[in-house]
Amino acid sequence: MATDLANSTSDQLEISCQSCGARLVLEAHLRSTLCPYCASPSIVSRPPSPNRPSPTFLVGFVVDHEHATKTVKNWVAGSHIFARSDFKAAVPELTRGVYLPAYLYVAVANTRYSASIGENYTETETYTTTDSKGKTVTRTRTVTKTEWRPLSGNHCCYVLDVLVSASQGVTNAALEAVEPFDLRALRRYADSFISGWLAEEPSRTQDDCFRLAHDETIAKVGAMLKNFMPGDSHSNLEYQTDLSHEVIDLVLLPIWTYAVRYAEDRPPIQILVNGQTGRVAGKVPVSAAKVTFAVVGVLLLIGILFLLFLAAQG
Amino acid sequence: MNETQIAEFNCTRCESPLESGDLRCAICGQAALNDQTVQRKKLAIQILRCTGCGAAITYDPKHQAPACSFCGDVVKVESIDDPMEQTEHYLPFTVTADEARAALRGWLDSRGWFRPSDLSASAQLTQLKPLWWVAWVFDAEAFVSWAADSNEGSGRSDWAPHSGQNNIQFDDILVSASRGLSLNEAAAISPGMNLATKRKTPEGADRDATLERFDVQRSQARQEVSAAIHRIATQRAQQHFIPGTRFRNVKVAIVLRRLVTRRMSLPAYVLAYRYKDQLYRVVICGQDIRLMVGTSPKSLIKMIAVALVVAAIGMLFLLILAAGS
Ligand SMILES: [Zn+2]
Ligand SMILES: [Zn+2]
Ligand SMILES: [Zn+2]
Repeated sequence: MATDLANSTSDQLEISCQSCGARLVLEAHLRSTLCPYCASPSIVSRPPSPNRPSPTFLVGFVVDHEHATKTVKNWVAGSHIFARSDFKAAVPELTRGVYLPAYLYVAVANTRYSASIGENYTETETYTTTDSKGKTVTRTRTVTKTEWRPLSGNHCCYVLDVLVSASQGVTNAALEAVEPFDLRALRRYADSFISGWLAEEPSRTQDDCFRLAHDETIAKVGAMLKNFMPGDSHSNLEYQTDLSHEVIDLVLLPIWTYAVRYAEDRPPIQILVNGQTGRVAGKVPVSAAKVTFAVVGVLLLIGILFLLFLAAQG
Repeated sequence: MNETQIAEFNCTRCESPLESGDLRCAICGQAALNDQTVQRKKLAIQILRCTGCGAAITYDPKHQAPACSFCGDVVKVESIDDPMEQTEHYLPFTVTADEARAALRGWLDSRGWFRPSDLSASAQLTQLKPLWWVAWVFDAEAFVSWAADSNEGSGRSDWAPHSGQNNIQFDDILVSASRGLSLNEAAAISPGMNLATKRKTPEGADRDATLERFDVQRSQARQEVSAAIHRIATQRAQQHFIPGTRFRNVKVAIVLRRLVTRRMSLPAYVLAYRYKDQLYRVVICGQDIRLMVGTSPKSLIKMIAVALVVAAIGMLFLLILAAGS
């Protein structure tokens, strides 16, 4: 079934449809396509390279097109009160359902930390005050004070399941917004899972992705450390993390992408839907007019209350 | 520990055994694929076709599998494995039903001073049921980082912070998965189990024994075992590593290696007896008659008597104090 290829330039690939023979142009960052003439699904397998390894895993689509569109419509209509009205009324356009390349990163994090740990204690202190008859009296009260003690140590743990976007088209933050994916449903990659769907090749270098993964992992360790600190409180937490035993695997994630065009003069908004869980995320454009109205309204209210207060005093 | 079954593959990183269907190590996340993909040297284009009718197949979210768009045939794919947990081994009953019955009498006689005087004579045994209850038994090596407050080295506050790192070896740690026994009951009779006596089939009880089944899937089982490891590591850190005698905010971070979990069915007798229209329950270890746990009635009259005596002594004491001052 597989045949070698005729023609390729660096960015685009010209292939002939195996079904109807039509000439198709395939973008270099895609691994699959549909023939526009006969709708046959082609899968392109390129020899792997360091920045473009073969996928190891895949999470299959569970949410279909219809369901994804419905959730996006609800999400747009239900966006918060400061959203622009034309955005709320806009009809989201499906751009595509795509298997997005991402790296699944795991490591052992070895962290050296130091912090000031606050241990509370109570003390009874005396103070003077005036009683109801205007006399000066001495009373006692208990106050909570904090004793600060230095603590340093090591923290060692596995950091699992860090996912970073390997696609230029979707920022890591945008991917994070539709996470988590249920990785129990991870599958061994096979061509048949992307047949009929768009699948992207990684378009970020592995170095870039490693950097993103490191940053995300260090942030995760920081959150863990905050929780790890004993005492009633802590401050000056500083830490240095070494990552070892790193493993990085390419995984294809199911994402529905939508574009919402809400104004002629604005770029469309990208909205992503997690193709496994249906979770929606995107940046809602804020209406400057609505925010201004709200601010002016609140100021007016404060002004009126102040005037009323003055009137009452006067 | 020599009977620990060695799985076919161990994770190359943390040396925990992998189970059938695992694509990644559940402990450390290492991919566990035997490389079966052919590395392509040349670019290739293909259309996958239905073996039945030759039409193109496409992935269908409804079936979560590739399907033929023409004849509707769904391609069989490697299933996502999260099977129900299943017992691998049974420990046999070494205590007979008669011995259990006798042990109950002895136990009732030894319920202490508060027991009603006629307890052993009037208690009616209403049920004696052999039960194989389910549990996980695991071994592991853990590298534990801990931080905690304790009284050791405290200044003005009662507490001072401490931190450290230690290795903990877990051998044959039992974690109950039972719904039939409470955590308390399981913990009380667990020390009597001799894991070396494990069998492939249930042995040593009559036919009406209850065979409990695991009612969780593998992924949840792993979570429960991992929570137990966390709990036990916290206890051990407190017992052996953290200086001091009083503790709070005990936190642990664990790097696990060589986690081997076995799924077991363990023998117990569940007994019920009636005393004055009230039912009480006792559980006896099926391998050690000395380990039993349960509830028994207390004599109300005796308790009231003691309360009165204590109150009287207290009053007397106060009177003496008052007279002294
Ligand atoms: Zn075609
Ligand atoms: Zn491992
Ligand atoms: Zn077919």
